[in-house]
Amino acid sequence: MSYVLAKSQNNEIHEAGECGGAVTSILKYLLDEGLVDGVLALSPQDDVYDAFPVFITDSQDLLKTAGSYHCAPTMIGDLVQKYFFDKKVAFTVKPCDMRAVEELIVRHKINKDNIYMIGLNCGGTVSPVSGREMIDLFYEANPDDVISEEIDKGQFIIELADGSEEAVKIHDLENEGYGRRKNCQRCDVKIPRKANIACGNWGAEDGWTFIEINDEKGQELIDGAKKAGILETKSPSEPAVEGRSKVENIMIKMAKKNQDATYPLVSEMDEWSRCISCYACRDICPICWCFENCELNKPYFKDEANIPPLPIAFQGVRLSHMSFSCVDCGQCDDVCPMDIPVSLIFDKLQKKYYNRTGYVAGVLDDIKPPLYSPEKTEL
Amino acid sequence: MFEIKHTLCPSCSVGCGINVILDGEEIVGTFPYKRHPVNAGKNCLNGRNSIDCFKNKFENVDLTNSIADASNEIKSANASDVSVICSGNCSVEDIAAIKDFAESNGFNIGFYANDLKNFEDVASYDEIANASKVFVIGDLLYENPLIGRRIVHAKQNDAKIYALSKNENAVTFNIADEISNSSVQEFLDKFKGEIDDSSVVVFNYVDEAGDLDKIESLNCKALPVFSKPNTKGALDIIDSKSADEMVELFDNTKLLLVFNDDVVDEFDYDFTKISKIITFACCENDTTKISNIVVPVKTWLEQDGSFVNAMGEVQNFNCVIGSDNLGIIEVIGELNK
Repeated sequence: MSYVLAKSQNNEIHEAGECGGAVTSILKYLLDEGLVDGVLALSPQDDVYDAFPVFITDSQDLLKTAGSYHCAPTMIGDLVQKYFFDKKVAFTVKPCDMRAVEELIVRHKINKDNIYMIGLNCGGTVSPVSGREMIDLFYEANPDDVISEEIDKGQFIIELADGSEEAVKIHDLENEGYGRRKNCQRCDVKIPRKANIACGNWGAEDGWTFIEINDEKGQELIDGAKKAGILETKSPSEPAVEGRSKVENIMIKMAKKNQDATYPLVSEMDEWSRCISCYACRDICPICWCFENCELNKPYFKDEANIPPLPIAFQGVRLSHMSFSCVDCGQCDDVCPMDIPVSLIFDKLQKKYYNRTGYVAGVLDDIKPPLYSPEKTEL
Repeated sequence: MFEIKHTLCPSCSVGCGINVILDGEEIVGTFPYKRHPVNAGKNCLNGRNSIDCFKNKFENVDLTNSIADASNEIKSANASDVSVICSGNCSVEDIAAIKDFAESNGFNIGFYANDLKNFEDVASYDEIANASKVFVIGDLLYENPLIGRRIVHAKQNDAKIYALSKNENAVTFNIADEISNSSVQEFLDKFKGEIDDSSVVVFNYVDEAGDLDKIESLNCKALPVFSKPNTKGALDIIDSKSADEMVELFDNTKLLLVFNDDVVDEFDYDFTKISKIITFACCENDTTKISNIVVPVKTWLEQDGSFVNAMGEVQNFNCVIGSDNLGIIEVIGELNK
């Protein structure tokens, strides 16, 4: 592992990108050198609250993906496994994306040799609809006037079209039920270290991106982009490295605190009684990859008389199949029409599994999925 | 080429947004549309399965021949024997064209809104969430989950929930303070004294037309929730008929033209009594199976248009994929030649 500060040598990208445009430049290098068939990255749609992954094959189109989109909590892992298995593809990943991809790699659903993972440090994401509501309630601004947003130094900061900024402490927003998504509040993986490189502004000087190079492929990327003349790098100072580490540790500490506060007993959760068996949680889960062969497709789970299904029968199947690999991405919460906090229970069980085995989904170097691992046969 | 595009869910009148995933010329999946204000990326199973109609499009139907055959049949029939069935599955633009087509040719027109009707001032979804009492007629949590979610929010805001359903296992019962399996009239009579201006009545069925008048006379807002995406929009354009009136129309029809609907599934009627049925549909259904001629038309994914959702918002949708078929407006243009 090593560190560099990096920024784009391309003026347009430097201007459009976050923190000097290093990420966009690295993606451009990969495309221009033909190292990948395409790049999968978030691109804004109707406004800054609305972004989804686009597949880019021409580096000229990368500019529209530049910048940060905290109000677009997407998941890239299942897209890569379903639609890009045979392609050489680079994509940006939050820690939960990276963890999902790693879990899918060990299940042979993604070919590690085909991918470049450009990690983005993540302090959390905000759901777009509640994000707009939050800005309406807590800021002196019209949500439609926001041109960019940022989470920095414990604040959710918005920038308006006139160049002005407003900031409110994340803690205050979350106390009122807004701010980051619940799963992000308890997530303790803030830097995606299984990605080839992990990029962010923590510890970085203005106009530069702080990059942690995690493996040989990551080093080759940085060296290649420099050689191609698109990336400039320099070594970060010791205080910068320490500052970044300090930010990470503070965020992990906050997450642990939230974990301690938010794990109820299943039997105490009356939310399960409104489950309508729509399978949205299963279908969105990046770790659930059985598709048509899923046990939950069996006729006895299709009986309308069993709606709502007993949690132990319905969620129990999924819990037993994959909770040890839950990456706490919160997608199941996001898509549940009944607002059942599904991820809470899955993450709780993953943490129990961690307590017994030390296994953190998508972070450790296990070569096989947990229940197939010889070290865990006693379970 | 992999692409994600915004569209609307066509599976009921709630008006949820949904993203579809394209891989080249195929629609291969759905993706949450989290920015959409109605559903914030949440879709029910029907919504996520709505792309099946694209996957099951008619193949091996000669469009030119089917339009020519349909045109010949229509031109050789007496106008008074022809009935046009319009549907809440059609866009606002299609419905206007269908109405114009029927009227200009002197055909009868039939439109069924599940015995529900337009209310002048309907409750918004936010008003449901903020009501102090919500009277729920139908298992909305299960059948229209993204309105059901607003009822859950009302419950979380300490509202009292009164639920009526014919299904004794209704999911809505699980969050309700009062439950009933009675008739709509008995339900309304029983709780009439508790309904005030901070209440909302939300319903997806009634037993009889009189129930609608009763709901309308209450001192609170109401929200009828339709089973089709644009029934509300259609009601703004065409007067609906009751089930009995529809049956009477069928009885007096020799040539039935069905636009994007499945009357065989919807009505307990012997459609073999009608001499000829021509269906304009995007994919197979029970009506197309018994039709003499089927003219394939574009799915909502293949054209621009608009739906009016249950609370009256006009929502536009854009074409997300090309098509060899014609839209209803274009087919009508061909029929009018």
